Amino acid sequence: MMRRAALIGLAFGAGAVHLAAVGVLLAMHQRWIIVEALTLGQAALLLLAGGAGAMTRGPVMGALAGAAAGVPVVALLAAMSLVPLNSIFIALSHDLFNMLTLGVGLAAGVAILIGGGAIAGLVGVLLSNSSQMVRRAIFPGAISVVVAGVFQELIQLMLQQYEGPVGDFRDFIYTWEGLSLQGAIAIFVLAALLSEVFGFIWRMRAERTASHDHRRERMVRAGIALLILVLLPMLGGSYVGQVLMLVGLYILMGMGLNLEVGLAGLLDLGFVAFFAVGAYSTALLTAGSAHALMHLPYWAAMPVSVLLAVAVGVLFGLPVLGVRGDYLAVATMGLGEIVRVIVQSDFAAPLLGGAQGILEIPKPSIGNFVLGNPVSLFYLTLVASAVAAFVAWRLENSRLGRAWEALRDDEDVAQALGINLVRAKLLAYGLGAAFAGLAGSIFATMLTSVYPSSFQLLISINVLALIIVGGMGSLPGVVLGSIVLIGLPELLREFGEYRYLFYGAVLIVMMRLRPEGLWPSDVRQRELHAEDETLALDAGTDAVPAQPR
Amino acid sequence: MALLEVADIHVFYDKIEALKGISLAVEEREIVTLVGGNGAGKSTTLRAISGLLHPRQGSIRFAGRSLAGLGAHEIAAGGVVHIPEGRRIFGRLTVNENLELGAFTRRDRRDVATDKEQMLVLFPRLRERLKQLAGTLSGGEQQMLAAARALMARPRVLLMDEPSMGLAPMLVEQVFETIGRINQQGVTILLVEQNAPMALGIANRGYVLESGRIVLDGPGRDLLDDERVRRAYLG
Ligand SMILES: Nc1ncnc2c1ncn2[C@@H]1O[C@H](COP(=O)(O)OP(=O)(O)O)[C@@H](O)[C@H]1O
Ligand SMILES: [Mg+2]
Repeated sequence: MMRRAALIGLAFGAGAVHLAAVGVLLAMHQRWIIVEALTLGQAALLLLAGGAGAMTRGPVMGALAGAAAGVPVVALLAAMSLVPLNSIFIALSHDLFNMLTLGVGLAAGVAILIGGGAIAGLVGVLLSNSSQMVRRAIFPGAISVVVAGVFQELIQLMLQQYEGPVGDFRDFIYTWEGLSLQGAIAIFVLAALLSEVFGFIWRMRAERTASHDHRRERMVRAGIALLILVLLPMLGGSYVGQVLMLVGLYILMGMGLNLEVGLAGLLDLGFVAFFAVGAYSTALLTAGSAHALMHLPYWAAMPVSVLLAVAVGVLFGLPVLGVRGDYLAVATMGLGEIVRVIVQSDFAAPLLGGAQGILEIPKPSIGNFVLGNPVSLFYLTLVASAVAAFVAWRLENSRLGRAWEALRDDEDVAQALGINLVRAKLLAYGLGAAFAGLAGSIFATMLTSVYPSSFQLLISINVLALIIVGGMGSLPGVVLGSIVLIGLPELLREFGEYRYLFYGAVLIVMMRLRPEGLWPSDVRQRELHAEDETLALDAGTDAVPAQPR
Repeated sequence: MALLEVADIHVFYDKIEALKGISLAVEEREIVTLVGGNGAGKSTTLRAISGLLHPRQGSIRFAGRSLAGLGAHEIAAGGVVHIPEGRRIFGRLTVNENLELGAFTRRDRRDVATDKEQMLVLFPRLRERLKQLAGTLSGGEQQMLAAARALMARPRVLLMDEPSMGLAPMLVEQVFETIGRINQQGVTILLVEQNAPMALGIANRGYVLESGRIVLDGPGRDLLDDERVRRAYLG
């Protein structure tokens, strides 16, 4: 037991050392959560120690794990004060040393790290064993404080225009530097109270309506999320609008890839190709530059672009029809790259503009109103996403959706039951591509120009990562995944270079703690949690239990 | 003329000739079994009939029509339904969804509903687990589900590949009993088995396969008594 707790602590501590060595810790330290009280970097350290504690049992073990988490950091400090490490690891600077020791020197710093780790570990284990009631208060409270602190600039900007009670509230919780201590306490208490009250109402309602209706509960939650999405850019202005628009484009692509990967089980790393086709089609059909083939209005070019993406999707599917599993990932990746290389190439340059791209793509307009700014384009994206979500939802529950699920699980049997494999697969690629084509089309008009460099493999990987994090096969999961993996990094620009560190960390943590994703589809959830329930049932039924295939 | 006629088919995996001229016939309402050791080519024969593989030479006719050039899904829609080796249910779908997929090619939704009800009478165990993920069923239950799913297609011929594989002896008997009952409802059955005694016991006729060739054939009882079969497969 003790060994385990110590090992867990050491592992988390090693994580902290890693964050320090790559420099992200110090970067996070530059941002206050609560002014003059707590930085994001310090919060990350506390979270690591607390997380180590939460993975153990009992207060003693929790404190031990937390203290153990401090040990690697202490070792790092010792090494730093003995050897000039920063000639190799430039991140291991004097500033970092000061941050980790809180500027009080090595000896006192060690005591603070170990002691603070122990306390954080203790809190972690107590929280993980605490009652629903306590958790319902603490977690929303803490999260709200972090959000209010980290995004203070943005929120202050949003609240800037208000006088009266809203203005008073703003001045109460924020100084011009950020969240004040009194503000943090106020927000914590407010969020905790709200969460308790809503939790209480929720349970009351659940008890009254005899059959606890999960579906409805989810609809309500999704509705609230949608409402926030609709209102946020209006309040937040053009920067927020731009970020949300990007999130929206990824949601569109996520829904498309979800059809391919989540439903039909066709791993696709060349998805960006369809996005590129949508963007370039729109460019060629509308642009004012010499490359344009036509000068259609945007609303005519958009459906054509989608159709072209579908056609390319089907073409794309043809060569990989017989390819399965890991090979499919490689083959599709190659196909995606081919599209980018063609677009970039000199021989296609007369048509597609080569590396210089195509410029002067007009903004769409409704009557005399031009959708010129990010916010109005965001609403276009939102409407497109809503339509696409409806289509995706209908597809999922259609005959075709069932056929996809069948071929995902077993191609041979699916065929033996009369499912046309070729048609089902090509439809998956084609329909998946339609969503990406739509996203590409909007992307082109958003930037008013398209360049080959916008269509990197990385986009395919981002889209795949976001549906994994959100929850394979789940529509709300796509939304959440986009917000977490696209929106958050975009808002935290200063950590831009650590973006993929963040991705990796999120993916690993998700796979360990919540492999079904943030908001899993019903089936995935059942699948991953069914074993516990049915093992017991199975034990008595026959001598040979089912082998996982 | 037999319902299913296989004439001198040769099937290759790349350069390996797995079937070296197989001919067999299955009459309407018969149970015919293919027995033989591991790697003899039993599964390959079924895969060729259901269209998952295409013979390089020879012909397969079903109800008088050649199956050459048809895709597996078309052959299935035509009434030849294959239950491949292993417990190949759709593990991530529910039992109910598995059954519904069995009727994928059918348009008569009302009849499908009554057929499903019939399956649940035939396999009461499945009724209890209708909403459960099929992957969580026990081995015997998965085998039942695979059979029930295939029957939902209202097949004329059922190709069954080692339905008793990996099951406890008590369940094996249950499986064979079920096969008999399915046959009594008018479904023609081509059964592949390693469990030769049981299979030959239930079958009208049998074929013995060895390295891609048929070495013996005849009524099930006769093969069961045949000295060579006894020595080779029955120990
Ligand atoms: N996918 C495959 N690729 C290559 N060879 C195969 C494949 N499947 C089967 N074979 C070969 O074909 C022969 C017949 O196999 P199979 O029909 O599965 O035998 P059985 O079902 O009678 O055990 C064997 O020699 C086997 O090794
Ligand atoms: Mg076999």
